[in-house]
Amino acid sequence: MNGASLLDFARGPGFEVAVAMLAFGVVWRLVGILALRRPVDHSEPRTGWGWVGGLRLVFSRSWPRREFRERVLHWDIISYLFHIGYAVAILGYVPHILVIRNLTGLRWPGLPGGVIAFFAGISAAALLALLGHRMSSPVLRRLSNFDDYFSWLAVFAPLVTGLMAYYNMGDSYQLVLGLHVLFGDLLLAWLPFGKIMHVILFAFSRATTGTVYGRRGAAL
Amino acid sequence: MSTTTLDTPAGSGGTASAPDRQGTLSDPERLQRAMASFVLDFGATAALYMESCVHCGQCAEACHYYVQTGDPKYTPIWKIEPFKQAYKRQIGPFSAFYRLFHLKRPVTTDELGKWQELIYDSCTLCGRCTLVCPMGIDIPSLVAAARHGMEAAGLTPHDLWEPTDRAEREGSPLGATRQVLKERIAWLADENSVKIPLDLEQADILVTISSVEIMKYPQAIVALARIMNHVRASWTFRSDGYEATNFSMLSGDKKGQRNATMLLINAALAVQAKIVILPECGHAYQAFRWTGANIYGKPLPFRALHISEFLAEEIRANRLTLKSDPRSMTFHDPCQVARRGGVFEAPRVIFRALGAQLHEMSSTPAANWCCGGGGGVVTIHRADSLRHRVFHLKMQQVEDTGADILVSSCSNCRLTFDDGQAFFHWDKTAHSLLELVADNLAERH
Amino acid sequence: MADETIAEVLEKRGFTRRAFLQLCATVTAALALSPADAAEMTRRLQSAPRPTVIYLSYQECTGCLESLTRSFSPGLASLIFNDISLAFNDTLQAAAGEAAESAKDTAMKKAWGKYLLIVDGSVPLPQNGAYCTVAGRSAISDLKHAAGGAAAVVAVGTCAAFGGLPYASPNPTGAVPVSDIVRDRPVINVSGCPPIAEVITGVIMYYTTFGLPALDRLRRPTNFYGNSIHDRCYRRPFYDRGLFAKTFDDEGARQGWCLFELGCKGPVTHNACPTMKWNGGTSFPIESGHPCLGCSEPGFWDKGGFYRPLSVPTGHWSRAGVIGGAAAAGAVTGLAVAAVARSRQDRAQKNRQSGTDKKNPKP
Repeated sequence: MNGASLLDFARGPGFEVAVAMLAFGVVWRLVGILALRRPVDHSEPRTGWGWVGGLRLVFSRSWPRREFRERVLHWDIISYLFHIGYAVAILGYVPHILVIRNLTGLRWPGLPGGVIAFFAGISAAALLALLGHRMSSPVLRRLSNFDDYFSWLAVFAPLVTGLMAYYNMGDSYQLVLGLHVLFGDLLLAWLPFGKIMHVILFAFSRATTGTVYGRRGAAL
Repeated sequence: MSTTTLDTPAGSGGTASAPDRQGTLSDPERLQRAMASFVLDFGATAALYMESCVHCGQCAEACHYYVQTGDPKYTPIWKIEPFKQAYKRQIGPFSAFYRLFHLKRPVTTDELGKWQELIYDSCTLCGRCTLVCPMGIDIPSLVAAARHGMEAAGLTPHDLWEPTDRAEREGSPLGATRQVLKERIAWLADENSVKIPLDLEQADILVTISSVEIMKYPQAIVALARIMNHVRASWTFRSDGYEATNFSMLSGDKKGQRNATMLLINAALAVQAKIVILPECGHAYQAFRWTGANIYGKPLPFRALHISEFLAEEIRANRLTLKSDPRSMTFHDPCQVARRGGVFEAPRVIFRALGAQLHEMSSTPAANWCCGGGGGVVTIHRADSLRHRVFHLKMQQVEDTGADILVSSCSNCRLTFDDGQAFFHWDKTAHSLLELVADNLAERH
Repeated sequence: MADETIAEVLEKRGFTRRAFLQLCATVTAALALSPADAAEMTRRLQSAPRPTVIYLSYQECTGCLESLTRSFSPGLASLIFNDISLAFNDTLQAAAGEAAESAKDTAMKKAWGKYLLIVDGSVPLPQNGAYCTVAGRSAISDLKHAAGGAAAVVAVGTCAAFGGLPYASPNPTGAVPVSDIVRDRPVINVSGCPPIAEVITGVIMYYTTFGLPALDRLRRPTNFYGNSIHDRCYRRPFYDRGLFAKTFDDEGARQGWCLFELGCKGPVTHNACPTMKWNGGTSFPIESGHPCLGCSEPGFWDKGGFYRPLSVPTGHWSRAGVIGGAAAAGAVTGLAVAAVARSRQDRAQKNRQSGTDKKNPKP
């Protein structure tokens, strides 16, 4: 398979399958979780506005509490560099915006390529640092499984091939671009089945805890 | 499980020592019971939590056990690994694939045994990890659920199982039976010349008590009586519903937990109480205030208040007036009352009413270090030296305030402080907020 | 006559040495040769024997030949090609019918094994090649025969190089590119729809003087096809700055911003358009405000539409249908697994209740 046919596959049938798997998997997993039993909480709430706590936690947990900053903030910042860099690269780069427009009809102005490359570079560096941390920290080594490493790869591969395509590295632009799109497909298709699903679940999980403890007036 | 990185305190239930077992069930029977119990606890909330974990490891940084030992096995989310494993295989949306392709091994009885020390000895259910988790996962609720399965399998630490069993047989984990209560009350009323109503047929307020107080801190009963009389409340103790501790909840015995809670609810209904006052006991507050109605199956027809909440309400209503006690104090917020219970303001109202010089701890009341004795841990003797290690954190936090007097509103914390004080030859004693108030009642005109 | 050199022929036709050197300079510049190579080319052209070129056309539109003959510069190059070297081309020659066929046979026989065969158009395979016949002979057998006597084959235009328009889905004639048929001779693909005239003549001049040029993966001379349109595009700075024309008549279009969003295939198209341009260096599509169609790449007809941006998915699948269908299937699956989970819980609950009598016996 040469670069051109790879690219054609990746943005043709490959993309179609990936999008279908994304939609299928996300709904499957989400419904599969949320349709489980959820007992009613009969306890008298301290405040009847528990959902406010839920909503609050969805946002407030995006930054560590003062008490924990000394121990976790540096990794949070590195994670943010990865997340923000990644988000800027996905949402700011015009070719990506056009994909989204094609799928949803939504569009917004793009950012200059150099800016995108800068953010993508930071994101890649942060991802490498996070992988290093995962492989060296005893706690993370204890917790990590296939999902953690595979998901890392699924996130890293499109990023690094995208950067390579941008800088015209590798001997065939089409091959690199084809790989980039193919890895992008892989990321979309894998998203619902591994830990990357947290991009959706984080809000549900935070909102649940926020609501439970919000109605108690407890710590959030 | 792999080796620990730092020295494990002797007798802390490390990997070498065999787990405690109750009963004579075979391993497959234990496993089957544990799994049946686990499966029942995999509701939408638990599932959401286990699906959301990204293995970031930050919960370790909030856990006093990890912070003090550096041992990765104390990472909170790791403590429920078999529970999580069972979930992925049995109930999760992709469970069919996990089984079909053998992506997760079935949990074994051996694993459950190995995890006993993580589920019981090294988790006080304090909930600091919940506050740090970027996904907002409430890990203690998962540990508590995992304990249900462990209890069903007869894999509870014996030191915790014993008082639980006793509570289920005698109505109190520490031997504070109905008879003992009656004798205590009679003696205390006599000794302190205070009226302590017991078994009134009707009262606006049902006061409950922790057996830790009955057996170790009986002055709490006197303090309670003095205050209730001071505010001229219509109140009573009931010998058919007095024990607010719920060791069954700590062990994971759902049936026992239900029975203990129903005793209090029925007593309150019997006296037509408008308020049930819960004693200075963190998990009692958790068990009744936040779980009681769910065991009852509908909202409770009365209010449930922690004693500190009641005191603050009375102060605000000007029924309770206090003498000034301007000493320098610090307050240890009990995890289950404050962080997980929502009672932050009440004790501070009391300190203001006392005119005390309150020196808050370095962390906010919400993220306060746990004393290390909650969740039943203080009863597990093989975990003592580990508990002392984490107590050191708390001690340091108290010392850093520079306050002269340490006050708390949980008799279980108090028990842990007393033990820690003796172990470290510390010069500070934890005082009861309730007793502090009782000692400073203003003369009534 | 076969032994005449190019220089001699030109001299005979009244071209000055100055004009000859000018020609060489133009060609070497187009090929981006080093000064040393340029001098070498001039030297070799002077002494090189006049090449014989046979030009055959199959499933094509004659656009490539139009491109070649209507080019202005280098006029001399096309002169050499058209008037001096071209031994047979059925479109350009005056002869027709039997006379034309016999002229072709004569020319091929004369230079058998040495001539340069240029093929324009794709070759249909089914029905023994019945979809394209010339003088009662199928294109496929004609090509096989002609290639047998060629030193090398130049496939001019995307049809010959990659199948082009006839090859486009659903390819009703079963057309294939030249390289699928000619396997024992070197094939040089000069793709484009049409190719730039100077590129065609440049390749022939290069072949005449230096032999086979360096080729890329698609057998295109890297001299001309080494860079993507995007890499050499004068609008590239706008791409890098994120400035795009969104319609053909918006402010961005008037400002000359990048045409990526309008479907420009420049990033994946390799050709010399931005540097050599068209019509004697006048302009090229992007310069005139139209996105590159990617005509020098295989399958350019079937890449999802000329005006759909390169990054967007190809294929005309129903977005809402696929996503909605997959989500609905996901919901059904999710509800089913949750129902199975609930029934497992019910069973566990039942077993538990029936098993409560059997307390864990104490030792």
